[in-house]
Amino acid sequence: MAGFRRLDEGGRIDRTKTLSFTYNGKPRSGFSGDTIASALLASDDLIIGRSFKYHRPRGFMSAGLEEPNGLFTLGEGARTTPNIIGTTTLLEAGMAVRSQNAWPSPKFDVMAVNGLLAPLFSAGFYYKTFMGPFKKSWMLYEPIIRRAAGLGAATVDHGQARYDTRNSFCDVLVIGAGPSGLAAAITAAGSGARVTLVELEGSVGGSLLSSRHEVLEAWRKAQADTAAKFNNLRLLLNATVQGIYDGNQAVVSVGANRLEIIRSQTIIYATGAFERPLVFSNNDRPGVMLAGALRSYLNRYGIAPKRRAVIVTNNDSAYAAAFELAEADVAVTIAEHRVVPPGDLLAMAAQLGIAIFPESGIADVLGGQQLQAVKLAGRHAVTIECDALGMSGGWNPSVHLTSHGGIKPRYENSIASFVPGGFAPSHFGCGAVMGTFGLTACVRDGVAAGLGALIYIGSKVAKSTIEPPKIRDETVFGIAPVWQAAAGKSKAFVDFQNDVTLKDLQQAHQEGYTSVEHLKRYTTLGMGTDQGKTSNINAIGIMAALRGVDMAQAGTTTFRPPFAPLTIGAIAGRSVGKHFRPTRRSPLHNWHEKNGGVFIEAGLWQRAWYYGWAGQSAEIAYIKEMEVVRRGVGIADVSTLGKIDVQGPDAAEFLNRVYVNGFAKLPIGKSRYGVMLNDDGIVLDDGTTSRISETQYYMTTTTAQAGEVMSWLEYLLQRHWTELDVHVTSLTDEWGGMAVSGPQSRNALQLAFPDLDVSNEALPYMGVKDVAYGGTVVRLMRLSFSGELAYEVHCPANFAQSLWEHIIHAAAPLDIKPYGLEALASLRIEKGHVAGLELDHRNTLDDLGLGKMASKDKPFVGRELRLRENHTAPERWSLVGLELLEPDKKLRGGAILFAADDEIKGHGRGYITSVTWSTELNTFIALGLYNGGLKHEGKEIIAAFPLKNEQTRLKIVSPHFVDKQGVRLHA
Amino acid sequence: MLDAHSPLGMTEMFSSHDTMLSEAPGFTLTQVAGDEKALKKAVGKLPKEVGKVLEHDGQTLFRTGPKQIWVLGEKVNADAGVYATPLSSGRTRLLLQGRRSREVLLACAAIDFHQSQFKSGQFVMTGIHHTPVLIHCVGPESFHIYALRSFALNVWQWLADVMEGLADD
Repeated sequence: MAGFRRLDEGGRIDRTKTLSFTYNGKPRSGFSGDTIASALLASDDLIIGRSFKYHRPRGFMSAGLEEPNGLFTLGEGARTTPNIIGTTTLLEAGMAVRSQNAWPSPKFDVMAVNGLLAPLFSAGFYYKTFMGPFKKSWMLYEPIIRRAAGLGAATVDHGQARYDTRNSFCDVLVIGAGPSGLAAAITAAGSGARVTLVELEGSVGGSLLSSRHEVLEAWRKAQADTAAKFNNLRLLLNATVQGIYDGNQAVVSVGANRLEIIRSQTIIYATGAFERPLVFSNNDRPGVMLAGALRSYLNRYGIAPKRRAVIVTNNDSAYAAAFELAEADVAVTIAEHRVVPPGDLLAMAAQLGIAIFPESGIADVLGGQQLQAVKLAGRHAVTIECDALGMSGGWNPSVHLTSHGGIKPRYENSIASFVPGGFAPSHFGCGAVMGTFGLTACVRDGVAAGLGALIYIGSKVAKSTIEPPKIRDETVFGIAPVWQAAAGKSKAFVDFQNDVTLKDLQQAHQEGYTSVEHLKRYTTLGMGTDQGKTSNINAIGIMAALRGVDMAQAGTTTFRPPFAPLTIGAIAGRSVGKHFRPTRRSPLHNWHEKNGGVFIEAGLWQRAWYYGWAGQSAEIAYIKEMEVVRRGVGIADVSTLGKIDVQGPDAAEFLNRVYVNGFAKLPIGKSRYGVMLNDDGIVLDDGTTSRISETQYYMTTTTAQAGEVMSWLEYLLQRHWTELDVHVTSLTDEWGGMAVSGPQSRNALQLAFPDLDVSNEALPYMGVKDVAYGGTVVRLMRLSFSGELAYEVHCPANFAQSLWEHIIHAAAPLDIKPYGLEALASLRIEKGHVAGLELDHRNTLDDLGLGKMASKDKPFVGRELRLRENHTAPERWSLVGLELLEPDKKLRGGAILFAADDEIKGHGRGYITSVTWSTELNTFIALGLYNGGLKHEGKEIIAAFPLKNEQTRLKIVSPHFVDKQGVRLHA
Repeated sequence: MLDAHSPLGMTEMFSSHDTMLSEAPGFTLTQVAGDEKALKKAVGKLPKEVGKVLEHDGQTLFRTGPKQIWVLGEKVNADAGVYATPLSSGRTRLLLQGRRSREVLLACAAIDFHQSQFKSGQFVMTGIHHTPVLIHCVGPESFHIYALRSFALNVWQWLADVMEGLADD
């Protein structure tokens, strides 16, 4: 029966610090320095989860990031984090560790019944088994299958953890702090370059951390000390480079809670290699591990198989594990695929009493839930009882990051795996990722990469002082590739995480999925949190053999970020909650807040929606606020309007080209309403522009389009009309604005500015006047959005609040009241002014009833295309007013419009854009877009609102509900 | 006289992890546009490059674009054939200072704020939390951040949040 024990000494753990934690609610303990995996192994928790499809019992396969099986959920409630890799996550006191995909427990899992249904879950089963018997059967099966087969579940509770994002910069980014990465970083730092060294472990050393060699440990520590002395070398531990992007950007997750974006002049990949498993019958039984993992658990955590271990290998590297296990009093047997392993290894094995069976693999792993014995294949078909089986099929250079830029890896025969297929000029590689496996060679390789990076950035180059450790040098790495073992009786897994077996690959091949990319998608091989780190190369080998092509021809799938699992929280960073998006506040915001203003989001702006004086809900308040404007005087914050300073000798010509109507002759001291089109002939925006001086204009835009109009004007000036001497500057933040509206508005202004003549003669409709008041400039514009006698009063934003307070105070005898966005928008509906809901980038001038504004005498942007056939079609949806015919009913924005005798079905003939209660007409009114528009004036139509199953009778009327002659405006 | 209200109206300093944030109101900022000759006539001397301020005649000049500078000060000769646009109300000026202020900035913008790359007198136009800002290094550990008035509180809160989130040394 498989089993492990904690040795009395050894490892990189601190045995003086015991850490208590729970595993599936049961108490466990480990030591400081343990990972979750090592602590569970030491507790003899061998079965730690169930497999993806078949719910087979699974144990740890590796001791690193490549782990396909050992995923856990940590924490409870809002602090739940699923899919934590147990082999890399350090144990912490009080941790609550839960296994995944097993119920009620990993040892006894109800869904293990899936194993009996295995024939239903073969390759491509989604597309076969669960397609019938009905047309939409898959919709029925899908949720059930997803519940049964799954990884951990994310919490739906609001997360409590804080995630941060950082940027950083360097000259040389070294990824991986193994021997070659350390050598590269120290070499580059020694010449003064700014170096960042990123290491996914908590210590530097890479593979040396799994060694027990004293000389190597001394060398590792010496290099760590050297690196620490450089002020220009930044070491990021517990950090995983998740992706490499254009411009030498590396996105790095640091710990669990930080994402760092590193931009570097050069990148050195020292990313090492992953050991790959062998494919044989029952190779997923708990107790079967990578040989290197057995070595890591022994030397890093002091954990060894209880009595006996079998090592199966096709290469030299697994012998180190065998020898060190033997030195720890574990009985070791080696099944060697090769005919003759190197002589020095044979000699050493003999010295340690290790039996070697050459030309042998594994025929089968025996044991129901976990490893009990192995049956050898080949010349020596013996059965060996054991506690652990260590397998090594060779090493796969970690080429993932080197491929993110689009360079595919190439196959390297000497190591039977893929190495980087090339580099961008500023990228370098060294060590195992390049297929260099000897320690001395790796260090030399690292020095060379460091020097290369220095030369690339044009740095001075000092002689590198780093030397390889003084040990007997390694022999050349020897391997005889083995992609699959002799056929066994049971499942032989290629991808452990996705439960993809040798048989699945064979079946996919038979069904024609012979391309590596098709194979991946048909079988799900290489997907999941481990992204095939241990499975891809074996699968390519098997597929190449089935197709009768070599590995290079078979090729690899595309490697994409992220390299390892990371939390969504880390990606979102601080852009959550109130920081989800930026918010804007008007210069009058504080006043609104202190005076009963209730806010509503309008784009990014926080706008005063209505005020408490008028009621406790928008439905009540806006009507009272409208009445104030229609019968007395109200004041509204219009600071959010886009405001643009247009200056220059050619400003008049510029505006004349931008607007559809003429601006060339606008007199100083006058405003004009204007509409501008995009170059496709569709309305972009409307607003007023006032002439302040011979060469200066003050443009206002809608709140929604302020940014877009500003960009559009800059684009036109910089790209198309470079001959015009015009400068545009956004004043949206510089100027505050307030609308003073209503029959009493002139009197209100007279009270506020007693020395100023605001009579109709002095300040007529569309007149503009800049006046000095209270130490600043105040711009008075007689404009009206509401249709009443009204003014806009603008001033530099620093003074806006004082000016607002002054007007309210001065006009108190007139009972002036503030009114909010809801009333503002409703007043304009009554007047029939279009706004954002109608200016939706789909409508022409004619659609909006503004066609007559377009000048026939001058060119303007959009003039030609506004007249194209589709834009002038008579049945286009165009602006209408809508009057409710059924007083007991309600109108709703977005309701679909139909002719009276239409079947109520489909997209109708138009829709309602804006709705309000009319205080003038005492009924609901609306603006809408209707097929053929006012050609149908007087007709009865239907508004359907399917969400509430409502239908309402309406009449098409003029969109101008109040003061059609404009008498009030000109009062 | 009308009272002036700064965008934030903050009188208190926010402090966290040896880093301080405060509003620094009371400045006169003007955008001046025109051709090189006119600009020079308007302010006397022009910064040669984008990214480095020129201190001249008691004013600080930023080259912010083609044919465009910002003038921090009050001595713009508007009759020099230039187009002057006051911006003093439209911006808030924040003062970020302290030992870890560069670390704060690195959490806000993808700019190399290392002391070897971003020195006193240098400035960058970039963004903090999707909003445009101009960051001016006014000392080894001191920075003026000019943000749009409407986003002032938003930028303040973002910076304060970053400061609070700095890992303990």
